[in-house]
Amino acid sequence: MDANGQARAARHAPGGSGQGRDLFASLRSGPFGGPTPAVAVLLVLMPFALPSSTMATEILIFATATLACNLLLGYGGLLSFGQAIFFGSGAYLSSLTMMRLGAGLLPALLVAVVAGAVSAALVGALSVRRTGIYFVMMTLAFNQTAYFIAYTLSDWTGGDNGLLDVPRPPLALFGVTLADLSSATAYYVFTAVIFLLIFIAVRRVIASPFGSTLIAVRENEARALALGYDTRNFKIAAFAVSGAMTSLSGALYAMLLNFAPLENIQLSMSENIVIMTVIGGTGSLLGSLLGAGAWVIVSDMLAEIWPRWLILTGGALILIVLFLRGGLWGGVESLMRRFGGGVPYAADGASDAAGPPAQPVE
Amino acid sequence: MLYLFQVLNGLGLGMIYFLISAGLTIIFGLLNFVNFAHGAFFMLGGYLCWSLTELTGNFWISLLTGPPLVAFLAWAAEVTLIRRIYRLPHTFHILVTVGIALILQETTIMIWGPIGKSIPVPDGLQGVVKLWNFTYPTYRLFLIAFTSLIGFALWYLLERTRFGGLVRAGSESAEMVALLGTNIHRLFARTFALGVGLAGLAGTLSAPIRGIHPFMGPEVLGIAFVVVVIGGMGSFTGALLGGLLVGLVQSLMSTLWPEGASLMIYGTMAAVILLRPYGLFGRA
Amino acid sequence: MRDSHILTTENLSLSYGSFRAVDKVNLRVRSRTVHSVIGPNGAGKTSLFHCLTGGRRPTGGRILFKGEEITNSSAHARVGSGMARSFQVTSLFQNLTVRENLRLAAQGRDGNGALVFWRSVNARKEHAALADGIMERLGLDGKAGVAAGDLSHGQQRLLEVGMALCGKPELLLLDEPTAGMGVNDIPMMTELIAGLGKEYSVMLIEHNMGIVMAVSDTITVMSRGGVLVEGKPEAVRADPRVREAYLGEVA
Repeated sequence: MDANGQARAARHAPGGSGQGRDLFASLRSGPFGGPTPAVAVLLVLMPFALPSSTMATEILIFATATLACNLLLGYGGLLSFGQAIFFGSGAYLSSLTMMRLGAGLLPALLVAVVAGAVSAALVGALSVRRTGIYFVMMTLAFNQTAYFIAYTLSDWTGGDNGLLDVPRPPLALFGVTLADLSSATAYYVFTAVIFLLIFIAVRRVIASPFGSTLIAVRENEARALALGYDTRNFKIAAFAVSGAMTSLSGALYAMLLNFAPLENIQLSMSENIVIMTVIGGTGSLLGSLLGAGAWVIVSDMLAEIWPRWLILTGGALILIVLFLRGGLWGGVESLMRRFGGGVPYAADGASDAAGPPAQPVE
Repeated sequence: MLYLFQVLNGLGLGMIYFLISAGLTIIFGLLNFVNFAHGAFFMLGGYLCWSLTELTGNFWISLLTGPPLVAFLAWAAEVTLIRRIYRLPHTFHILVTVGIALILQETTIMIWGPIGKSIPVPDGLQGVVKLWNFTYPTYRLFLIAFTSLIGFALWYLLERTRFGGLVRAGSESAEMVALLGTNIHRLFARTFALGVGLAGLAGTLSAPIRGIHPFMGPEVLGIAFVVVVIGGMGSFTGALLGGLLVGLVQSLMSTLWPEGASLMIYGTMAAVILLRPYGLFGRA
Repeated sequence: MRDSHILTTENLSLSYGSFRAVDKVNLRVRSRTVHSVIGPNGAGKTSLFHCLTGGRRPTGGRILFKGEEITNSSAHARVGSGMARSFQVTSLFQNLTVRENLRLAAQGRDGNGALVFWRSVNARKEHAALADGIMERLGLDGKAGVAAGDLSHGQQRLLEVGMALCGKPELLLLDEPTAGMGVNDIPMMTELIAGLGKEYSVMLIEHNMGIVMAVSDTITVMSRGGVLVEGKPEAVRADPRVREAYLGEVA
């Protein structure tokens, strides 16, 4: 199918409304407007509504990774099965920085962010040499590469056993301790602040010249090239931003568990992140929070009573492609359109690029 | 002698990879469909081999019935689900087949348990073959011969039969084939079953050598992707040469650097991508 | 050296194996004129166009733009130096609004400058202003918020040309702008292109003889990869070789 055919197919898919999507509208609300206050309120309520603040923390950590995946898939049309590379290496590198170099919390997180951006730029630069299906296959193959590297370097990563006794140092700046994070609640507050900052940052990224170009690349790469955009650079940059966020979430996850298992860098982790993104709704930032939340809550409920609950996610993926391409958030939107008339934040940066991911095809 | 041993191992492994990748690539060529459940069907082939061998006590019966069973399952999946999504972008193909792979993997664990199993080398092919002072396991020699035979049969099927002609013509233009009055639905379903059946066959054949476990799907899928990135999607020759290259690299590396053998497969891919972005046999 | 030719090609050639799609073509496009390339099907117009936009790498000869050699520079680099193209088959951002289509086109001139991800799109007001200006010129200002894919075919063709204009090009390469347009919409496009010839240099590849004769300053007739005739519209119209080349097609 040519690029136009793709675009047309995307237009007729559920979730793609006939009204044109206007980036300008999203900007009037700015990164602090739109859904941001609602997300802030939600962050305050979450630990009370959920069984534990540890679970709330886990949701936010995966929501961060999901936002990063969404930036690639929902906005750039880039389906990456390599997100676990960054998630896992963020967990390992931040843990090792703390354990071997005795670094504090913020330097360790900084190491994760930088390493994530660099490794993602590298993976991106290699993968975007091809487009379409080859691109996806290469991200998957690079995930396997990273997995085998981690497995081989067992002196550093602990191999199959994982990296044990990962510390969770207090929040300190220039040697001054600001907060002790050892309690679950304190760590939740810390994670929630980081999540909110990232949510705001992603809204800004999407509404930037870069973000608008990324959407253009998703919509029609040939045209974007003809307009003067070196589209590969935009894809690589998208990878770098996404990798930095994913790596940060991996680092936070290791500190939550006090443990960095090999599973963090396995292909199945990449799959899980993609599944959370798709179930929540691609191209919608609130969808990412919803997707991660649904995943963590359902897995927590079912893991004890039915370890094979992953079958359900397999079924959910199929059902979403067949009936609900906008994901859960797309479903919420159409329900609101039917019953409430208006859709909150519909003309907003969070959802204005909603619609199915359109992967360019060779 | 050690190297000859490893080269033969590499050939056998490479032919297994060839069967998997040929299946992937035939499906992609005609249906323009990306099957991320390919590795899961490979795993299923291995498990069916185990069960059928347990049931009948005969590996040969399971070799004759297991792969067709996998192909039948694939046909059923095509008719009920997959044909509904051909028209969607590739991303949706991937999501659906990832879903299928998860369902297969979890079902396998439910039926056969989470721990891997080993399958005895079939009767009549145990032991070794001696040539002068060189000894080599009989089953592995059989593997090379049998997969070569399958490869030849596949080539014959694609190049010399009406079915193969339709598949090749359809890879160029599906509308053309439809105009010829061929039932395109039936052709697609059969091709999908054939491609997946090849993965099932590869799973059956490699089970006595490498054993089976429920999480082998993604690993095999990754290798198949390396082969087609190197050899080019839709290319039969590319799948053969790419498969052999990857098999040989993996086998030779396993003597030089055992822990890094799997890693080197991906290193090979990265090198090919850097030097020839469109693969060894791909066109720009 | 400053001449009034914005684009020249010297022995430009593109072969596919032994087939010469473009065969030693020498073109001189004068600034602020409309220069059309016509010819029967298979004459090499589209291959020539690909060489000029950077879609194909020529197998021989040179392309000079404003006196600088651009023979091997990439498509997106050519946009940065002042070339813009439209597509024969409409190629828009179907799901985005008309205004966003044009704004993205204006922003494209920044090239990698558009990688800034920490600033708002609002920080570059000139792009939005340019988009609004072009929208008005095309008579699409009432459609600012409509998805490009929801426009009529004629409007999409206008937007297609408008997106090329947003790159603030010095040279516009238009590939059959009237392709698939209804008879009623063609006068609008003719008028637009004639107007563009006064502000920009336009190189037009077109099948519709009416529009070519009406707007062109110079016409190059291609046949079998090479240049058959070049001259003013009246001269080309009267040339027997042109009639002959086209008769082959019509018959």
